[in-house]
Amino acid sequence: MKRPGAGVRARMLLRSFAVQGSWNYQTLIGTGLAFVLAPALREVYKGDDEALRRSLGRHTELFNSHPYLAAVAAGAIARLEADGAPADTVTRFKHAVRGSLGTLGDRLVWLMWRPMSVLLGVSLVLAGAAWWVGALAFLLVFNALHLWMRAWGLAIGLRDGLQIGRTLKGVPFPAMGDRAGQLGALLAGFAAALAAGGPGSRPWEWGVAVGAALLGITLGPRVRGAAALAMVLALVAGLVLART
Amino acid sequence: MILTAAQVVAVTLIGGLVALDATSLGQFMVSRPFVAAALGGLVVGRPAQGIIAGVVLEALHLAVLPVGAAKYPEGGPPALAAGAVYAANFPPVAASATLLVVVLVALALEMVGGRSVDLMRQVTVRFAGAPVEGLTPGQLARRHLAPMAIDFARGALLTLAAVLLLGWLLRAIDFSGFPEVAIETLLRLAVVAGLASALRLFGRAHYPLFLAGAAGGALVAWLR
Repeated sequence: MKRPGAGVRARMLLRSFAVQGSWNYQTLIGTGLAFVLAPALREVYKGDDEALRRSLGRHTELFNSHPYLAAVAAGAIARLEADGAPADTVTRFKHAVRGSLGTLGDRLVWLMWRPMSVLLGVSLVLAGAAWWVGALAFLLVFNALHLWMRAWGLAIGLRDGLQIGRTLKGVPFPAMGDRAGQLGALLAGFAAALAAGGPGSRPWEWGVAVGAALLGITLGPRVRGAAALAMVLALVAGLVLART
Repeated sequence: MILTAAQVVAVTLIGGLVALDATSLGQFMVSRPFVAAALGGLVVGRPAQGIIAGVVLEALHLAVLPVGAAKYPEGGPPALAAGAVYAANFPPVAASATLLVVVLVALALEMVGGRSVDLMRQVTVRFAGAPVEGLTPGQLARRHLAPMAIDFARGALLTLAAVLLLGWLLRAIDFSGFPEVAIETLLRLAVVAGLASALRLFGRAHYPLFLAGAAGGALVAWLR
Protein backbone atom coordinates (compact mmCIF):
# COMPACT_ATOMS: atom_id res chain seq x y z
CA MET A 1 0.00 0.00 0.00
CA LYS A 2 1.37 3.40 -0.97
CA ARG A 3 -0.63 6.46 0.03
CA PRO A 4 -0.44 9.53 -2.23
CA GLY A 5 2.17 12.06 -1.07
CA ALA A 6 1.63 15.77 -0.38
CA GLY A 7 2.56 16.78 -3.95
CA VAL A 8 0.10 14.30 -5.42
CA ARG A 9 -2.65 15.45 -3.07
CA ALA A 10 -2.01 19.08 -4.04
CA ARG A 11 -2.20 18.20 -7.76
CA MET A 12 -5.42 16.26 -7.20
CA LEU A 13 -6.92 19.21 -5.34
CA LEU A 14 -5.96 21.64 -8.10
CA ARG A 15 -7.32 19.32 -10.77
CA SER A 16 -10.58 18.94 -8.85
CA PHE A 17 -11.39 22.55 -9.83
CA ALA A 18 -11.64 21.30 -13.41
CA VAL A 19 -13.56 18.09 -12.69
CA GLN A 20 -16.49 19.24 -14.85
CA GLY A 21 -14.30 20.40 -17.75
CA SER A 22 -15.44 17.63 -20.09
CA TRP A 23 -19.05 17.33 -18.82
CA ASN A 24 -21.03 15.39 -21.45
CA TYR A 25 -24.32 13.51 -21.77
CA GLN A 26 -22.67 10.08 -22.03
CA THR A 27 -20.30 9.80 -19.08
CA LEU A 28 -21.16 13.08 -17.28
CA ILE A 29 -18.02 13.88 -15.23
CA GLY A 30 -16.40 10.47 -15.82
CA THR A 31 -13.43 11.81 -17.81
CA GLY A 32 -13.07 14.62 -15.28
CA LEU A 33 -12.85 12.16 -12.40
CA ALA A 34 -10.10 10.22 -14.20
CA PHE A 35 -8.32 13.55 -14.79
CA VAL A 36 -8.40 14.29 -11.04
CA LEU A 37 -7.25 10.76 -10.20
CA ALA A 38 -4.38 10.74 -12.71
CA PRO A 39 -1.64 12.07 -10.35
CA ALA A 40 -2.50 9.42 -7.72
CA LEU A 41 -2.71 6.61 -10.29
CA ARG A 42 0.64 7.60 -11.77
CA GLU A 43 2.16 7.08 -8.33
CA VAL A 44 0.30 3.86 -7.61
CA TYR A 45 1.22 2.31 -10.99
CA LYS A 46 4.73 3.74 -11.18
CA GLY A 47 6.80 1.59 -13.57
CA ASP A 48 3.75 -0.25 -14.99
CA ASP A 49 2.54 1.85 -17.90
CA GLU A 50 0.13 -0.81 -19.11
CA ALA A 51 -1.69 -0.99 -15.75
CA LEU A 52 -1.78 2.81 -15.58
CA ARG A 53 -3.36 3.03 -19.05
CA ARG A 54 -6.00 0.44 -18.16
CA SER A 55 -6.76 2.11 -14.85
CA LEU A 56 -7.12 5.59 -16.36
CA GLY A 57 -9.35 4.20 -19.09
CA ARG A 58 -11.50 2.37 -16.55
CA HIS A 59 -12.06 5.54 -14.53
CA THR A 60 -13.45 7.48 -17.51
CA GLU A 61 -16.69 5.48 -17.17
CA LEU A 62 -19.95 7.21 -16.23
CA PHE A 63 -19.74 9.11 -12.97
CA ASN A 64 -21.61 11.99 -11.44
CA SER A 65 -21.46 13.94 -8.25
CA HIS A 66 -21.79 17.47 -7.02
CA PRO A 67 -18.58 19.06 -8.35
CA TYR A 68 -17.38 20.21 -4.94
CA LEU A 69 -17.90 16.74 -3.44
CA ALA A 70 -16.28 14.94 -6.37
CA ALA A 71 -13.07 15.39 -4.39
CA VAL A 72 -14.49 13.03 -1.74
CA ALA A 73 -14.94 10.31 -4.36
CA ALA A 74 -11.56 11.02 -5.94
CA GLY A 75 -9.83 10.78 -2.56
CA ALA A 76 -11.59 7.55 -1.62
CA ILE A 77 -10.90 5.96 -5.02
CA ALA A 78 -7.23 6.97 -4.83
CA ARG A 79 -7.10 5.32 -1.41
CA LEU A 80 -8.72 2.13 -2.75
CA GLU A 81 -6.30 2.03 -5.69
CA ALA A 82 -3.36 2.58 -3.33
CA ASP A 83 -4.62 -0.23 -1.12
CA GLY A 84 -4.76 -2.53 -4.16
CA ALA A 85 -8.54 -3.01 -4.11
CA PRO A 86 -9.91 -5.14 -7.01
CA ALA A 87 -11.29 -3.20 -9.98
CA ASP A 88 -14.86 -4.41 -9.45
CA THR A 89 -14.78 -3.23 -5.81
CA VAL A 90 -13.75 0.24 -6.98
CA THR A 91 -16.49 0.21 -9.63
CA ARG A 92 -19.15 -0.84 -7.10
CA PHE A 93 -17.96 1.89 -4.74
CA LYS A 94 -18.27 4.51 -7.49
CA HIS A 95 -21.81 3.36 -8.28
CA ALA A 96 -22.73 3.48 -4.60
CA VAL A 97 -21.51 7.01 -3.83
CA ARG A 98 -22.39 8.96 -6.96
CA GLY A 99 -26.05 9.49 -6.12
CA SER A 100 -25.56 10.56 -2.53
CA LEU A 101 -22.67 12.91 -3.30
CA GLY A 102 -24.86 14.60 -5.88
CA THR A 103 -27.88 14.97 -3.64
CA LEU A 104 -25.91 16.19 -0.61
CA GLY A 105 -24.08 18.87 -2.56
CA ASP A 106 -27.02 20.00 -4.67
CA ARG A 107 -29.20 20.61 -1.63
CA LEU A 108 -26.60 22.35 0.48
CA VAL A 109 -24.74 24.36 -2.17
CA TRP A 110 -27.06 25.08 -5.09
CA LEU A 111 -30.36 25.18 -3.25
CA MET A 112 -29.37 26.92 -0.02
CA TRP A 113 -25.85 28.27 0.30
CA ARG A 114 -25.48 29.94 -3.09
CA PRO A 115 -28.83 31.79 -3.09
CA MET A 116 -28.21 32.88 0.50
CA SER A 117 -24.73 34.21 -0.40
CA VAL A 118 -26.06 35.95 -3.52
CA LEU A 119 -28.82 37.60 -1.49
CA LEU A 120 -26.25 38.80 1.04
CA GLY A 121 -24.23 40.48 -1.72
CA VAL A 122 -27.28 41.93 -3.46
CA SER A 123 -28.69 43.18 -0.13
CA LEU A 124 -25.48 45.07 0.57
CA VAL A 125 -25.56 46.71 -2.86
CA LEU A 126 -29.22 47.63 -2.50
CA ALA A 127 -28.54 49.01 0.98
CA GLY A 128 -26.04 51.42 -0.53
CA ALA A 129 -22.72 49.64 -0.05
CA ALA A 130 -20.05 50.05 -2.74
CA TRP A 131 -20.33 47.60 -5.64
CA TRP A 132 -17.17 45.80 -4.62
CA VAL A 133 -18.38 45.31 -1.03
CA GLY A 134 -21.45 43.40 -2.26
CA ALA A 135 -19.53 41.38 -4.82
CA LEU A 136 -16.69 40.58 -2.43
CA ALA A 137 -19.03 39.64 0.43
CA PHE A 138 -20.81 37.18 -1.87
CA LEU A 139 -17.59 35.67 -3.23
CA LEU A 140 -16.01 35.33 0.23
CA VAL A 141 -19.03 33.76 1.92
CA PHE A 142 -19.80 31.43 -0.97
CA ASN A 143 -16.23 30.32 -1.54
CA ALA A 144 -15.53 29.76 2.15
CA LEU A 145 -17.81 26.73 1.97
CA HIS A 146 -16.76 25.85 -1.58
CA LEU A 147 -13.03 25.71 -0.87
CA TRP A 148 -13.55 23.92 2.43
CA MET A 149 -15.69 21.25 0.75
CA ARG A 150 -13.06 20.52 -1.88
CA ALA A 151 -10.08 20.41 0.51
CA TRP A 152 -11.90 18.59 3.30
CA GLY A 153 -13.54 16.20 0.84
CA LEU A 154 -10.24 15.09 -0.67
CA ALA A 155 -8.65 14.70 2.76
CA ILE A 156 -11.43 12.55 4.23
CA GLY A 157 -11.74 10.54 1.03
CA LEU A 158 -8.05 9.66 1.18
CA ARG A 159 -8.29 8.94 4.90
CA ASP A 160 -11.45 6.84 4.98
CA GLY A 161 -11.65 5.10 1.59
CA LEU A 162 -14.53 2.61 1.64
CA GLN A 163 -15.72 3.92 5.01
CA ILE A 164 -16.48 7.35 3.59
CA GLY A 165 -20.25 6.80 3.84
CA ARG A 166 -20.03 6.61 7.63
CA THR A 167 -18.03 9.84 7.76
CA LEU A 168 -20.46 11.67 5.49
CA LYS A 169 -23.39 10.61 7.67
CA GLY A 170 -21.75 12.42 10.59
CA VAL A 171 -21.32 15.69 8.74
CA PRO A 172 -24.13 18.17 9.50
CA PHE A 173 -24.82 19.07 5.86
CA PRO A 174 -28.62 19.05 6.30
CA ALA A 175 -28.40 21.30 9.38
CA MET A 176 -26.04 23.66 7.53
CA GLY A 177 -28.51 23.77 4.65
CA ASP A 178 -31.38 24.53 7.02
CA ARG A 179 -29.48 27.40 8.66
CA ALA A 180 -28.50 28.81 5.27
CA GLY A 181 -32.14 28.52 4.17
CA GLN A 182 -33.33 30.46 7.21
CA LEU A 183 -30.79 33.21 6.67
CA GLY A 184 -31.59 33.21 2.96
CA ALA A 185 -35.31 33.70 3.60
CA LEU A 186 -34.52 36.64 5.91
CA LEU A 187 -32.22 38.17 3.30
CA ALA A 188 -34.74 37.60 0.50
CA GLY A 189 -37.31 39.67 2.39
CA PHE A 190 -34.72 42.31 3.29
CA ALA A 191 -33.47 42.66 -0.30
CA ALA A 192 -36.97 42.66 -1.80
CA ALA A 193 -38.04 45.49 0.54
CA LEU A 194 -34.91 47.49 -0.24
CA ALA A 195 -35.54 47.07 -3.96
CA ALA A 196 -39.18 48.09 -3.51
CA GLY A 197 -38.55 51.26 -1.56
CA GLY A 198 -36.93 54.08 -3.47
CA PRO A 199 -36.39 57.57 -2.03
CA GLY A 200 -39.80 59.08 -1.34
CA SER A 201 -41.81 55.98 -2.18
CA ARG A 202 -45.53 56.52 -1.70
CA PRO A 203 -47.87 54.06 0.07
CA TRP A 204 -49.46 52.84 -3.16
CA GLU A 205 -46.00 52.05 -4.51
CA TRP A 206 -45.32 49.91 -1.45
CA GLY A 207 -48.66 48.21 -2.06
CA VAL A 208 -47.79 47.37 -5.65
CA ALA A 209 -44.39 46.10 -4.51
CA VAL A 210 -46.06 43.77 -1.99
CA GLY A 211 -48.16 42.45 -4.86
CA ALA A 212 -45.03 41.88 -6.95
CA ALA A 213 -43.38 40.04 -4.06
CA LEU A 214 -46.41 37.79 -3.61
CA LEU A 215 -46.44 37.12 -7.34
CA GLY A 216 -42.75 36.24 -7.21
CA ILE A 217 -43.28 33.82 -4.33
CA THR A 218 -46.19 32.23 -6.15
CA LEU A 219 -44.43 31.90 -9.49
CA GLY A 220 -41.04 30.80 -8.14
CA PRO A 221 -38.66 30.12 -11.05
CA ARG A 222 -41.42 31.03 -13.54
CA VAL A 223 -41.08 34.66 -12.45
CA ARG A 224 -38.31 34.98 -15.02
CA GLY A 225 -40.65 34.36 -17.96
CA ALA A 226 -43.39 36.59 -16.54
CA ALA A 227 -40.95 39.46 -15.96
CA ALA A 228 -39.48 39.07 -19.45
CA LEU A 229 -42.97 39.18 -20.98
CA ALA A 230 -43.86 42.33 -19.04
CA MET A 231 -40.60 43.94 -20.18
CA VAL A 232 -41.25 43.05 -23.83
CA LEU A 233 -44.71 44.64 -23.59
CA ALA A 234 -43.16 47.74 -21.99
CA LEU A 235 -40.57 47.95 -24.77
CA VAL A 236 -43.23 47.65 -27.47
CA ALA A 237 -45.36 50.28 -25.72
CA GLY A 238 -42.31 52.54 -25.46
CA LEU A 239 -41.49 52.13 -29.15
CA VAL A 240 -45.08 52.93 -30.11
CA LEU A 241 -45.15 56.00 -27.83
CA ALA A 242 -41.83 57.17 -29.21
CA ARG A 243 -43.27 57.18 -32.74
CA THR A 244 -46.42 59.11 -31.80
CA MET B 1 -19.40 55.36 -28.90
CA ILE B 2 -20.35 52.40 -26.72
CA LEU B 3 -17.05 50.53 -26.14
CA THR B 4 -13.56 50.98 -27.55
CA ALA B 5 -12.00 48.13 -29.55
CA ALA B 6 -9.66 47.31 -26.66
CA GLN B 7 -12.60 47.17 -24.26
CA VAL B 8 -14.49 44.87 -26.62
CA VAL B 9 -11.49 42.52 -26.79
CA ALA B 10 -11.10 42.59 -23.00
CA VAL B 11 -14.79 41.91 -22.37
CA THR B 12 -14.76 39.10 -24.96
CA LEU B 13 -11.80 37.36 -23.32
CA ILE B 14 -13.28 37.78 -19.83
CA GLY B 15 -16.51 36.36 -21.28
CA GLY B 16 -14.63 33.16 -22.14
CA LEU B 17 -13.29 32.93 -18.59
CA VAL B 18 -16.70 33.66 -17.08
CA ALA B 19 -18.22 30.86 -19.19
CA LEU B 20 -15.53 28.49 -17.91
CA ASP B 21 -16.23 29.51 -14.32
CA ALA B 22 -19.90 28.58 -14.59
CA THR B 23 -19.24 24.85 -14.99
CA SER B 24 -15.92 23.76 -16.46
CA LEU B 25 -13.29 25.43 -14.32
CA GLY B 26 -13.31 26.71 -10.78
CA GLN B 27 -16.96 27.46 -10.14
CA PHE B 28 -15.97 30.34 -7.88
CA MET B 29 -19.22 31.98 -9.06
CA VAL B 30 -17.57 34.97 -10.67
CA SER B 31 -20.07 34.01 -13.37
CA ARG B 32 -23.06 35.05 -11.26
CA PRO B 33 -24.87 37.84 -13.13
CA PHE B 34 -24.30 40.58 -10.56
CA VAL B 35 -20.59 39.84 -10.27
CA ALA B 36 -20.11 39.40 -14.04
CA ALA B 37 -22.00 42.62 -14.79
CA ALA B 38 -19.85 44.52 -12.28
CA LEU B 39 -16.76 43.08 -14.00
CA GLY B 40 -18.14 44.29 -17.33
CA GLY B 41 -18.60 47.74 -15.82
CA LEU B 42 -15.09 47.58 -14.39
CA VAL B 43 -13.62 47.06 -17.87
CA VAL B 44 -15.14 50.34 -19.01
CA GLY B 45 -14.28 52.10 -15.72
CA ARG B 46 -17.80 52.19 -14.24
CA PRO B 47 -18.40 49.06 -12.14
CA ALA B 48 -21.06 50.78 -10.01
CA GLN B 49 -23.16 51.26 -13.15
CA GLY B 50 -22.45 47.75 -14.41
CA ILE B 51 -23.76 46.21 -11.22
CA ILE B 52 -27.12 47.98 -11.70
CA ALA B 53 -27.79 45.77 -14.74
CA GLY B 54 -26.35 42.87 -12.76
CA VAL B 55 -28.78 43.21 -9.86
CA VAL B 56 -31.80 43.06 -12.20
CA LEU B 57 -30.40 40.01 -14.02
CA GLU B 58 -29.39 38.36 -10.75
CA ALA B 59 -32.87 38.73 -9.29
CA LEU B 60 -34.29 36.92 -12.31
CA HIS B 61 -31.59 34.24 -12.19
CA LEU B 62 -31.81 33.38 -8.48
CA ALA B 63 -34.16 30.43 -8.84
CA VAL B 64 -32.21 28.81 -11.70
CA LEU B 65 -30.69 25.57 -10.41
CA PRO B 66 -27.86 23.68 -12.20
CA VAL B 67 -28.89 20.28 -10.89
CA GLY B 68 -27.86 17.11 -12.70
CA ALA B 69 -28.33 17.29 -16.46
CA ALA B 70 -30.91 20.10 -16.22
CA LYS B 71 -30.91 22.60 -19.08
CA TYR B 72 -30.81 26.15 -17.81
CA PRO B 73 -30.06 29.67 -19.07
CA GLU B 74 -26.45 30.78 -18.90
CA GLY B 75 -26.20 33.96 -16.86
CA GLY B 76 -22.51 34.94 -16.94
CA PRO B 77 -21.46 36.06 -20.44
CA PRO B 78 -24.68 37.98 -21.25
CA ALA B 79 -24.56 39.73 -17.86
CA LEU B 80 -20.91 40.65 -18.42
CA ALA B 81 -21.78 42.20 -21.78
CA ALA B 82 -24.88 43.89 -20.36
CA GLY B 83 -22.88 45.43 -17.50
CA ALA B 84 -20.15 46.65 -19.85
CA VAL B 85 -22.50 48.18 -22.41
CA TYR B 86 -24.85 49.76 -19.86
CA ALA B 87 -21.91 51.25 -17.95
CA ALA B 88 -20.18 52.48 -21.10
CA ASN B 89 -23.41 54.15 -22.18
CA PHE B 90 -23.83 55.91 -18.82
CA PRO B 91 -25.36 58.41 -18.28
CA PRO B 92 -27.81 57.37 -20.97
CA VAL B 93 -30.47 59.59 -22.55
CA ALA B 94 -33.12 57.47 -20.83
CA ALA B 95 -31.62 55.42 -17.99
CA SER B 96 -34.57 53.09 -17.36
CA ALA B 97 -35.38 52.47 -21.02
CA THR B 98 -31.73 51.72 -21.74
CA LEU B 99 -31.62 49.35 -18.80
CA LEU B 100 -34.81 47.67 -20.04
CA VAL B 101 -33.28 46.97 -23.46
CA VAL B 102 -29.99 45.79 -21.95
CA VAL B 103 -31.77 43.42 -19.56
CA LEU B 104 -34.13 42.06 -22.22
CA VAL B 105 -31.31 41.32 -24.65
CA ALA B 106 -29.28 39.70 -21.86
CA LEU B 107 -32.25 37.51 -20.86
CA ALA B 108 -32.68 36.39 -24.48
CA LEU B 109 -28.97 35.67 -24.83
CA GLU B 110 -29.02 33.71 -21.56
CA MET B 111 -31.36 31.29 -23.33
CA VAL B 112 -29.07 31.19 -26.38
CA GLY B 113 -26.14 30.57 -24.03
CA GLY B 114 -27.99 27.73 -22.32
CA ARG B 115 -28.74 26.15 -25.68
CA SER B 116 -25.10 26.45 -26.72
CA VAL B 117 -24.03 24.73 -23.49
CA ASP B 118 -26.44 21.91 -24.30
CA LEU B 119 -24.99 21.61 -27.82
CA MET B 120 -21.44 21.66 -26.47
CA ARG B 121 -22.24 18.82 -24.09
CA GLN B 122 -23.52 16.76 -27.00
CA VAL B 123 -20.33 17.49 -28.96
CA THR B 124 -18.20 16.66 -25.93
CA VAL B 125 -19.53 13.10 -26.00
CA ARG B 126 -16.87 12.42 -28.64
CA PHE B 127 -14.23 12.98 -25.93
CA ALA B 128 -16.00 10.64 -23.49
CA GLY B 129 -15.11 7.07 -22.55
CA ALA B 130 -11.86 5.35 -23.40
CA PRO B 131 -10.55 2.76 -25.88
CA VAL B 132 -10.25 -0.82 -24.61
CA GLU B 133 -6.49 -0.49 -24.25
CA GLY B 134 -6.97 2.50 -21.94
CA LEU B 135 -5.44 5.96 -22.00
CA THR B 136 -2.06 7.48 -21.26
CA PRO B 137 -2.09 10.49 -18.91
CA GLY B 138 -1.36 12.75 -21.89
CA GLN B 139 -4.25 11.35 -23.94
CA LEU B 140 -6.56 11.74 -20.97
CA ALA B 141 -5.49 15.35 -20.40
CA ARG B 142 -6.12 16.19 -24.08
CA ARG B 143 -9.58 14.58 -23.94
CA HIS B 144 -10.40 16.59 -20.85
CA LEU B 145 -8.91 19.93 -21.82
CA ALA B 146 -10.24 20.10 -25.41
CA PRO B 147 -13.86 20.62 -24.26
CA MET B 148 -12.68 23.37 -21.92
CA ALA B 149 -11.08 25.18 -24.85
CA ILE B 150 -14.37 24.84 -26.73
CA ASP B 151 -16.25 26.21 -23.70
CA PHE B 152 -13.91 29.21 -23.51
CA ALA B 153 -14.39 29.97 -27.21
CA ARG B 154 -18.15 29.54 -26.88
CA GLY B 155 -18.36 31.97 -23.97
CA ALA B 156 -16.13 34.51 -25.69
CA LEU B 157 -18.22 34.38 -28.88
CA LEU B 158 -21.46 34.72 -26.95
CA THR B 159 -20.11 37.75 -25.09
CA LEU B 160 -18.87 39.35 -28.29
CA ALA B 161 -22.24 38.79 -29.95
CA ALA B 162 -23.99 40.33 -26.94
CA VAL B 163 -21.75 43.41 -26.92
CA LEU B 164 -22.18 44.00 -30.64
CA LEU B 165 -25.93 43.44 -30.57
CA LEU B 166 -26.44 45.71 -27.57
CA GLY B 167 -24.23 48.40 -29.04
CA TRP B 168 -26.18 48.35 -32.28
CA LEU B 169 -29.58 48.35 -30.52
CA LEU B 170 -28.74 51.25 -28.23
CA ARG B 171 -27.69 53.29 -31.23
CA ALA B 172 -30.71 52.28 -33.30
CA ILE B 173 -33.52 52.85 -30.78
CA ASP B 174 -34.86 56.33 -30.22
CA PHE B 175 -35.52 56.49 -26.48
CA SER B 176 -36.88 60.04 -26.43
CA GLY B 177 -40.58 59.14 -26.09
CA PHE B 178 -40.20 56.26 -23.63
CA PRO B 179 -42.18 56.57 -20.37
CA GLU B 180 -39.20 56.58 -18.02
CA VAL B 181 -41.10 56.51 -14.72
CA ALA B 182 -43.32 53.60 -15.77
CA ILE B 183 -40.35 51.57 -17.03
CA GLU B 184 -38.32 52.33 -13.90
CA THR B 185 -41.26 51.09 -11.79
CA LEU B 186 -41.61 47.96 -13.91
CA LEU B 187 -37.91 47.11 -13.54
CA ARG B 188 -38.08 47.74 -9.80
CA LEU B 189 -41.10 45.42 -9.49
CA ALA B 190 -39.35 42.75 -11.57
CA VAL B 191 -36.41 42.87 -9.14
CA VAL B 192 -38.77 42.66 -6.15
CA ALA B 193 -40.59 39.66 -7.64
CA GLY B 194 -37.31 37.96 -8.56
CA LEU B 195 -35.79 38.41 -5.12
CA ALA B 196 -38.99 37.25 -3.43
CA SER B 197 -39.12 34.15 -5.66
CA ALA B 198 -36.04 32.89 -3.79
CA LEU B 199 -38.35 32.03 -0.89
CA ARG B 200 -39.50 29.08 -2.99
CA LEU B 201 -35.96 27.67 -2.81
CA PHE B 202 -35.72 28.02 0.95
CA GLY B 203 -39.23 26.79 1.63
CA ARG B 204 -42.48 28.61 2.32
CA ALA B 205 -42.22 27.49 5.94
CA HIS B 206 -39.75 30.36 6.27
CA TYR B 207 -42.45 32.95 5.51
CA PRO B 208 -42.11 34.56 8.99
CA LEU B 209 -38.38 35.05 8.46
CA PHE B 210 -39.05 36.51 5.02
CA LEU B 211 -41.53 38.96 6.54
CA ALA B 212 -39.10 39.87 9.32
CA GLY B 213 -36.43 40.55 6.70
CA ALA B 214 -38.89 42.61 4.65
CA ALA B 215 -39.74 44.70 7.72
CA GLY B 216 -36.04 45.35 8.30
CA GLY B 217 -35.51 46.22 4.65
CA ALA B 218 -38.48 48.58 4.63
CA LEU B 219 -37.11 50.33 7.72
CA VAL B 220 -33.68 50.78 6.11
CA ALA B 221 -35.32 52.02 2.88
CA TRP B 222 -37.45 54.48 4.86
CA LEU B 223 -34.51 55.78 6.92
CA ARG B 224 -32.05 56.37 4.10
